[in-house]
Amino acid sequence: MFGALVMLTALSLTLAACGSKTSTTGAGAEPTTAVAAVPNGGTLVVGAEQEPDCLDWLGQCAGSVWGTWIAQIETQPMAFRSVVDGNDIKWEPGAVLAGEPKFVAAPVETITYNINPAAVWSDGVAITCADFQYTAAQQQSGPDIYDRTGYVDIDKVSCPTPKTVVVTYKSGKTFAGWQALFSSGVGILPSHLLKGKDRDKLMKDGYTWSGGPWFAKWNKGQNITLTPNPNYWGAKPHLDKVVFQFETDTSAEFEAFKSGQVDAIYPQPQLDVVDAITQGLPDAHSEYQSKTASVESLYFNLSKFPFNSKAVRQAVGYSIDRDAIVNKLFGPLGVTKAVNSLNPFVVKDYSDPNAWAGYHLDLSKVSSLMTADGWTKGSDGIWVKNGQRAAFTVVTTADNQRRVLTEEVMQPELKAAGFDMTIKNTSADNLFGVMLPGGDYQATIYTASLTGITPGLCSVFCTENIPGPANDNSGQNWSWASIPAADTQMRIVDTSLDDSARRAAGAKADDILADNNAALPLDPLPDILIWSNKVVGPISDNPVEGMFWNIDQWGVKQ
Amino acid sequence: MLRYLVRRLLGSIPVLLVASFITFWLVRRAVDPLAKFRHDRDSARVLAEQRKALGLDHPVIVQWWNWLTHFVRGDLGTSTRTRDPVSGMIQHALWPTLQLMFWATIVSVVVALLLGTYSAVKQYSAGDYAVTGLSYLGLAMPDFWFALIAIAVLVTLPTVWFHLNQPILYSVGLHSPGDSGLNLDYFRHLALPVLTLTFGAVASWSRFHRASMLEVLNADYVRTARAKGVPGHQVITRHVLRNALIPFTTVTALDTAFLVSGVIITERIFSIAGMGQGFLSALGAGDAPFLLAWFVIGAVAVIGMNLLADVGYVALDPRIRLS
Repeated sequence: MFGALVMLTALSLTLAACGSKTSTTGAGAEPTTAVAAVPNGGTLVVGAEQEPDCLDWLGQCAGSVWGTWIAQIETQPMAFRSVVDGNDIKWEPGAVLAGEPKFVAAPVETITYNINPAAVWSDGVAITCADFQYTAAQQQSGPDIYDRTGYVDIDKVSCPTPKTVVVTYKSGKTFAGWQALFSSGVGILPSHLLKGKDRDKLMKDGYTWSGGPWFAKWNKGQNITLTPNPNYWGAKPHLDKVVFQFETDTSAEFEAFKSGQVDAIYPQPQLDVVDAITQGLPDAHSEYQSKTASVESLYFNLSKFPFNSKAVRQAVGYSIDRDAIVNKLFGPLGVTKAVNSLNPFVVKDYSDPNAWAGYHLDLSKVSSLMTADGWTKGSDGIWVKNGQRAAFTVVTTADNQRRVLTEEVMQPELKAAGFDMTIKNTSADNLFGVMLPGGDYQATIYTASLTGITPGLCSVFCTENIPGPANDNSGQNWSWASIPAADTQMRIVDTSLDDSARRAAGAKADDILADNNAALPLDPLPDILIWSNKVVGPISDNPVEGMFWNIDQWGVKQ
Repeated sequence: MLRYLVRRLLGSIPVLLVASFITFWLVRRAVDPLAKFRHDRDSARVLAEQRKALGLDHPVIVQWWNWLTHFVRGDLGTSTRTRDPVSGMIQHALWPTLQLMFWATIVSVVVALLLGTYSAVKQYSAGDYAVTGLSYLGLAMPDFWFALIAIAVLVTLPTVWFHLNQPILYSVGLHSPGDSGLNLDYFRHLALPVLTLTFGAVASWSRFHRASMLEVLNADYVRTARAKGVPGHQVITRHVLRNALIPFTTVTALDTAFLVSGVIITERIFSIAGMGQGFLSALGAGDAPFLLAWFVIGAVAVIGMNLLADVGYVALDPRIRLS
C-alpha cells in the first residue's frame, strides 16, 4: 500500500495563489469555484502528464496513478471513496453502497455491505454480490495481481441476497484497513462480463463497460476520452466530453495551457512548474497545498556500511539543513519547512508529525555522535573508522530535476560535516526494479505515496518485509531495517481493530524510527492544480484521488 | 539497375546481422528483462518461468538467433511494459513518425537548396551573411530548446496578445481531439514539429550545399560556359546546381535517417505518439523487445537511405554507372 512511486503527487500547508484568482487551504480544500451555476454540455480538455500502461486495474501493469485518476475512479464502482472533509480526508461509502457497511470485529472480522438497489452496470445489469465475489476471487488467486493486501486472509465472500455481501476473515486474521477492500486501486468488477474469461485481455487496452458516471475510451498515445454513462444511477455529469490529452513534457504542457489548448493541468511539483507559477498564469486559477499523500525522503540501507551504524545515520540527520532544501525547492510557493514524519499528512492521526523535528543542521552534534562511535577526522576532513572513510553513494532517478537538486544541495553540506557523498543516478526502472529490491545501494531519495488512506509503515520497515525467501523476495523493506521495538508498533497499526490503539502505535513507531533515523523525511511535495477561467464547478484537490475526483460535477462556460 | 539493387540488398544482410547482434547484446547488457519480476510475491517461481519463457537460460548468441528468427517472421515479441505485441505497437507508432520525417525532409531539402544556392551565388553579400548567421544559430540550438521557444513565441504569445480562443498553430499532437485526416487542422498541428526538425537540418544542409555550389562555381567548365555566353541562370541550374546536388544527395540521404534522433525530442515535446515517444517510454521502462525492434528498424532505415543515395547518384550524374 505504502509503495514507492516515482512521484506524481504531493503535499502542502501553504496555499498561496497565483493567477487571476486562487485558493484555499487544507488537504482537499473546500471547492474554490462557485458550485451554483455549472452549465451542461461542452468539452473539457485536460493535460495528463502520464499515459497508463494498461487499464487492467488489478494487474501489475496498472501501477500508474494517472490511470486511476483519469479512468478508473470515473468508470469503476468503489465500495469506499477517499473524500475531503474540511481539513481532513476520510473514507466514505461509495455510491454503489446503500450506506455504511456493518463492521464486526469479533469473533472473526466480518463486513456486511448493502448494495445500492439502483446500482447497475452500463448495460443495465444490476451490480450484485456476485461482482464482489468475483473481484475478491481475482484478488486472492487470480493471475497477475499487483497487490493482494487485505484479500489473502479472507475466508469467504457470501451472498445472503443478491444485494448483500458478507466478507468474513479467517479466524485469527484481521485487516485494520478494511475500507480499502473493493476500493482504491481495485474497485468492483462486472462478474457477468469477466467471469471465466481472461480479465487482463478484456481490460488492459480499455473496456466498453462502466459502473461509474463515465465511459472511458483510450486512444493510445493520444488521450483518454470520457463520455457520460447514460445508465449511471447517480447524478449525471455536466460535461458532454472530457479529453485527457497526454502531455509528458511539463514545459510544453504549461505552454499548451497558456495558449488555451488545454483547460486544466495537474503538474508534478518540479522546478520549472514552480517557476511558471511564480511568473504568473493569466486568466487562470491555481491552487497548491502540501497536505497530501506523499513524502519524499532520504532512505538509508541499514545493512550497508556506513549506515549500519545508528550513530552515523543520526549524524547525517544533523548534517543536512532540510528546511533549506525545501525552501530552495518550494520556497516561491510558500512551502519552507521539511516534514518531520515518514507518514504523509493524510494519515497524520496515525503518526507523530514532529518525530524528526529534532534533526536540524548542528555540526557539534555530528562531532559528538561520530566521536562517540569511534570515528576520527582524516586529513581530508572526512570521518574515518578502522581505516574506512565515511564515504557513500546516493542514487535517485536521473530524470527528476527536483531530486537531483536535492542531492546537489546535500553534497556540500555533508562534506562540511565530514561525509564524502557521491552522486550516481540511474533510471527509475533500474532503481525500483533492481537496486532497491536487491539492496544494491547505500542511500537513495524517492517519494513514498499512499494510494488510499490506510496508515502504516510496516510494509516498508518491518523486519519480516526485508526481501528474502520467507516472502519470496517480495518484501518492500528496501531499507533492510530491523528495529524490533518499531516492528511491534507498526504491526499494531496494520492489524489492530482498535483505532485509538492504532493511532498511539503509529505515533510511537514514528518516534522509534526517528530515534534510529531509519530514513530522513525531506520534502512536503505540494499538489498543484491549475485551471482556466472557462472551467467551473467545485474544483478542489483530493490528495488521494487527484484533481479530477469529482469531474462529473465540473462544467465549461459556453 | 535491378541487378545492382538486388546485389546491394543482399550485401546489406551481413551488415544488418552484425548490427542486430551488437544491438541485441547491448540491450541485454543494459536492460534486465527480469527486473520487474524480482519483487513479485512469488518471485522465485516467476523468475524461473520468465527466464525460461524469455530464453535467458541460453548463451547470448543463441538468444539472439532465436530472437532473430522470430523477428524476420514478423514476430517482434511482446512488450514487457504494455504486454502488447511489439509489431502492433511499432505499426501504430511508425505512421506519425513517417509523417513527420516526410514533411521535415521535403521542407528541409527545399529550403536548404534555396538558401545554399542563394548564399553561394551571392557570396559575401548581406544576405549570405544573414543566412550564415542563422545557420550557426540552427546548428548551435538544441532541438528541445528551439521547440520550446517556438511554442512560446509562435503559439502562446499570439494567443495571449490577441486574446484568441484557440492558437493559430497548435503544439499538442497531430490533430485536435476527435479530428483526423489531411486538413487545415492537421497542418496547424504539423507546422511546429516540422519547423523544429527542419531548423537544424536546414542549417547543416544549406552550409554544405553552399560549399558544394562554390566549388562547382569555380570549376573550369563553368567558366567556359560563361565564356561561351550561356545565360547566368542556365549556368546555375543546368551546370552548377546539378553537379552540386551529388554530394548534397549523399548528405541528405544519410542525415534523413539520423533525423530520428530529433524526432525523439520533437515527439515528446509536441505529444506525438510516434517512434520517438515509444523509444523514450521503452527506455524508461526497460522494455527490451521494443528497444530491439526500434534499433533494428533504425538500422534498416540507415541502410535503406544509403541505397537511395547511391541510386540518386545515377539519376543526377550520367557518368556514374552502377556496376
